[in-house]
Amino acid sequence: MAILPFDLGLGLGALRAWGIWILPFVAALIIPAVAKASKRATGWVAVAFALASAVSALTLLPAALGNHEIHNQISWISSIGIKAGVLADPLAVIMSNVVAWISFLIFVYSTGYMKGDKDLTRFFFWMAFFLGSMQLIVLSDNFLQLFFGWEGVGLASYALVGFWYKDKKKDHVGVEGRHVLGLMDYYSPTHSGMKAFIMTKVGDVMMLAGMFLIFAFAGTFGFRELTANTSWATAMAAQHLLIPAAVLLFGGAIGKSAQFPLNEWLLEAMTGPTAVSALIHAATMVKAGVFLVARLAPLFFALAAIGINMDQFFEIIAWVGAITALLLATQGMVHPEIKKVLAYSTGSQIGYMMMAIGVAGLSKQFVDGYTAGFFHLISHAMFKASLFMAAGSILHIVGSRFMTDMGGLRKYMKKTYAFMWAAGLGLMGAPFITTGFWSKDAIFGAIYESGNTWALPLFAIAVITAVITAFYTTRMIGLVFFGNKSKHVEELEKEGHHIHEASASMWIPYGILAVLTIAVGVMGLAFEHQIHDLFVNYLGTTFGIKSDVGTVATESQPILGGFLQGVNPIALTASLSAFAIGFVLGYIFYIGRFADPVKFVNSNIFFYAIHKFFLNRWYLNALIYWGFVVAPLYVARGLYKYFENFVLEGFNVIPEKTMAGGARIMQATQTGVSQSYLYIFGVGILIVVFLLLI
Amino acid sequence: MQFVLLQALFLPLLLSPVAYYLGRKSGPTVATWFTFGLLAYCTVLVITPALSGSYEEHYKWTQLFGEFGLLLDGLASPFAIIIYVISTVLVLFSKPYMVSRITTMFEERISEKHLVGGSTEVIESSSLKEHLNHQIGAYYALFLVMAMGMLGTILATNLIEFYVFFELMLIPAFFMLAIWGYESRRRVALLFLFWTHVGAVILLLGFLSIGLSVGSFNYADIKAHGIPPHVLGLAAVAIIVGLAVKMAAFVVHMWLPHVYRASPTPLNALSSGAMLGVGAYGFFRLIIMLMPGQYEHLALALNIWGLITMIYGGVMALVQDDIRKLFAYSSISQMGYIMFGIGTVSVLGLSGSEMMFVSHSLGKVILFMMVGAIILQVKTRSLTKMGGLAGKMPITAVCAMIGALTLMGVPPTSGFMAEWTMFYGALQTAIQQGSMIRMATFGLGLVATVITMAYILWMIKRVFFGKLPENLENTKEANWYVTGPMMVLAGFSVVIGIYPDIFFNQIIPFMKGLVGV
Repeated sequence: MAILPFDLGLGLGALRAWGIWILPFVAALIIPAVAKASKRATGWVAVAFALASAVSALTLLPAALGNHEIHNQISWISSIGIKAGVLADPLAVIMSNVVAWISFLIFVYSTGYMKGDKDLTRFFFWMAFFLGSMQLIVLSDNFLQLFFGWEGVGLASYALVGFWYKDKKKDHVGVEGRHVLGLMDYYSPTHSGMKAFIMTKVGDVMMLAGMFLIFAFAGTFGFRELTANTSWATAMAAQHLLIPAAVLLFGGAIGKSAQFPLNEWLLEAMTGPTAVSALIHAATMVKAGVFLVARLAPLFFALAAIGINMDQFFEIIAWVGAITALLLATQGMVHPEIKKVLAYSTGSQIGYMMMAIGVAGLSKQFVDGYTAGFFHLISHAMFKASLFMAAGSILHIVGSRFMTDMGGLRKYMKKTYAFMWAAGLGLMGAPFITTGFWSKDAIFGAIYESGNTWALPLFAIAVITAVITAFYTTRMIGLVFFGNKSKHVEELEKEGHHIHEASASMWIPYGILAVLTIAVGVMGLAFEHQIHDLFVNYLGTTFGIKSDVGTVATESQPILGGFLQGVNPIALTASLSAFAIGFVLGYIFYIGRFADPVKFVNSNIFFYAIHKFFLNRWYLNALIYWGFVVAPLYVARGLYKYFENFVLEGFNVIPEKTMAGGARIMQATQTGVSQSYLYIFGVGILIVVFLLLI
Repeated sequence: MQFVLLQALFLPLLLSPVAYYLGRKSGPTVATWFTFGLLAYCTVLVITPALSGSYEEHYKWTQLFGEFGLLLDGLASPFAIIIYVISTVLVLFSKPYMVSRITTMFEERISEKHLVGGSTEVIESSSLKEHLNHQIGAYYALFLVMAMGMLGTILATNLIEFYVFFELMLIPAFFMLAIWGYESRRRVALLFLFWTHVGAVILLLGFLSIGLSVGSFNYADIKAHGIPPHVLGLAAVAIIVGLAVKMAAFVVHMWLPHVYRASPTPLNALSSGAMLGVGAYGFFRLIIMLMPGQYEHLALALNIWGLITMIYGGVMALVQDDIRKLFAYSSISQMGYIMFGIGTVSVLGLSGSEMMFVSHSLGKVILFMMVGAIILQVKTRSLTKMGGLAGKMPITAVCAMIGALTLMGVPPTSGFMAEWTMFYGALQTAIQQGSMIRMATFGLGLVATVITMAYILWMIKRVFFGKLPENLENTKEANWYVTGPMMVLAGFSVVIGIYPDIFFNQIIPFMKGLVGV
């Protein structure tokens, strides 16, 4: 554990690390008080604290880039010997910077986006809480504390997705009246919030089980303690519990990152204000799952050194990622709501990250895939936040979530148009100038070079997904900005609402990120090498994972001079052609408008069927509702009616009736007529005499 | 420090006539604050000795039953503290609720008389006031006795003492239900008395068989001598059945939904937050401590029984429309959690189970206060007639949400601390024993937490979110007597959730001694 020179004595480094996650919580606590003075000020308090947290993260960056780590612990649940702590290693510090700065920009954007909303206090309280929880996940040094942040982001997403709790029609998602398998595909904000919370909770429960399994053997939740002494892993492997535990932990990530089969909450999460969607998709929540996997993967991979094979675990990660990437990308092609398209693309891109880390564990050169996945996380955070905020501006101004209600906006919203192209190119992976290209290419390279039996199918899925990604991004931009103005826009103009550019507090944040996507993209390869080198060091010193640094440069032939040094040529070709095919197809249908996509789909039963299949979300959502909501409620009602209220109610009714009946019989004997008493008395004497005689 | 616990226990009983007198003479406000002050003082008396670890008092009693002891150890103190804290805050909550309830009942009676047309007597406004003062005094007197009965059961060191207090708390509950309850209150009150009394008598059967065969009713003596094997099985079953009725475990829970539907909300809160927990306490004190051998035999059965109860209660709660019945089934389910924890045979499992009592009390009392606040403001109990109230009752909504999180076991509330330790304990035992059945109950237990989450979030959605019905347009926030206590308990839940050592420091060392680690 290296201690920085300027930390000696003061422990300033540790204090700053604590500050990163505590500051947003402080903001959340004081926001209700500030609201008493001025409601508008709540936004600026949130922004100020987010900035403070981000600066505090930034000051840790130089040390982290030098592979120093800060690990500080305090006593917490002393009766069980559990400590709380912060662990600011390179992974955590880079992640926390990404989270902090992007959140800061989103907070600035929110002050413009939410202007005039009645519930600003509640909004900024939860935004700050969200950020604090995410930073808590990133900086925790143990599972239990991480879980606090983990549930914190779940709670915040519940509150923010359902932010417009009055469930007005305009805040719903889906098309009213559309049914899939007899169930409505149209959801209210509060329903969606609940869905998000419960579905991610299913993952959380699995994660808890995994945590407990490890704690039962290791007696600690601490990440560093688990690395230092791996006897727990040997014991668990002997009982065949290690892989299940690891997979259960990954279950938590599946839930949070909306991976197959718990992906369906992410689409309905679009009912929240767009700033929230940006936060969920770029900086917090879904990235938490990837971060968890990035935290755990080296820990489990390093077990190979003591002879424990974790291949199954990594295969599951890779395949879950691959399935999700394809599943969600296909649906992104057909949906008419702009935010939903972006949501599908998030899930799909997260799938890429999972695939990369999964493949890392299956290859000898762990660091390649690991770097690729993490690099993609960073570049995705930038362009996706930008895209969401830009989409939010458009929604804000057009007043509809459907892309069919937009069209031809490029003349009116020039800045947004330009920024959306820049960020959109990042998502498509436009060659050589965007971060998205380099990070996706790194993933392709890592998959291709892994040498695993699954490498080829995974590679194929990754490339197909890239084609689809380029296509749906072009489609989105085409539908929104090109073509003629839609009827909706014309009506708006008739009413006197002119389509105009968003306000500065809104376009500046997404402008910055869009520009960054290109700026970092231009020097993308250098940037990647930087992270790669850092991770080689980090994985080597912390986990003892050795990387063969020399091979990267020597094995692949330098093409195009030295510029593309270290890039796998096959991966490069694949990603170039994927971009080209997707973009050209998108251009034909939606920008050049040489062919009508609706006619095209209806021209052929096969295309029609597949379009419908995608639009109905592969029927996955409907099946989940049937299996886990409709059917259980039906059974519960039956149980209540026939078992609880009939069979078990017998316990109440039978004694009651028996006693009442008994009382009635007794009552009947008390006639109050002396003749009858004498009569019975006489009969009794006769009987006694009779008995005596016998 | 002498007579501290004796004071804490008997002052409420001795001064209950004063509460009645004050209510009758000076009205609800004075009676409320007198009762509140008295219970607050007694709560301090309970907390003070608990801070310095184990504490006990002994007094001479009869030759036949043994001594009258009061013991506050690591097991008893969380129960004792929570029961008195809950009772104290509920005094405040009771005031607006009971005043409204008594007034409504009075008016109903008058309108009935008018409808019948038989009586021509002129009813003046003063007669309502007189009636109210009289009734509220009686209410607080009963309330004090009930609190005292619950504390006595916890502090008892002797089987007969336990039984006396156990029965004592039923009487005020019976009257509160029969006098101020809702539809068919008398029938339900009888039902309640019948069930709980049958439970108590079965319990007494177990107590007598132990006491007569050992020759002493003191816990200490019984522990020292050991229970002769020929009565052991019978006694264990009798005690478990008796306590299970009290806790409303599956199959013997049938009294609870009816009682919760019919009783006034403060009684619901008191019963769910404190009284049911006494049953759980009995398991620790009487089964685990007095008959450890039997406990180990029966632990798995208790574990499974708890699991069934928690799932069954949760599933029933999903389909309720009456908000009070929803919480009735929720209480059953939560008692299932505690029983599940009792069946874990591990330090952390048992500690989590006791923490579950603490956490459930806090959460459920907050939620019952929410129910009370809504019934007061909205005058309906049907979930389908509510909606969108978050905008009208923001403080209630926020506190209810914290209560809901406590029940769902979401950090940073106390519920998480209880649930993780409890489930971890279950898993630990499963691994140690290599038992697949225990592994399965652990997994299904986690599934039950998802069910809990579903019914609670759905309830919150139906009450607070969505479209506000037109007739509720003028709803106002509940008054401070309701929101104040809610905020205190909500804050308490978060504090425990972040810093559980407040209770764990007492519970865990005790459980370590108990399980023998």
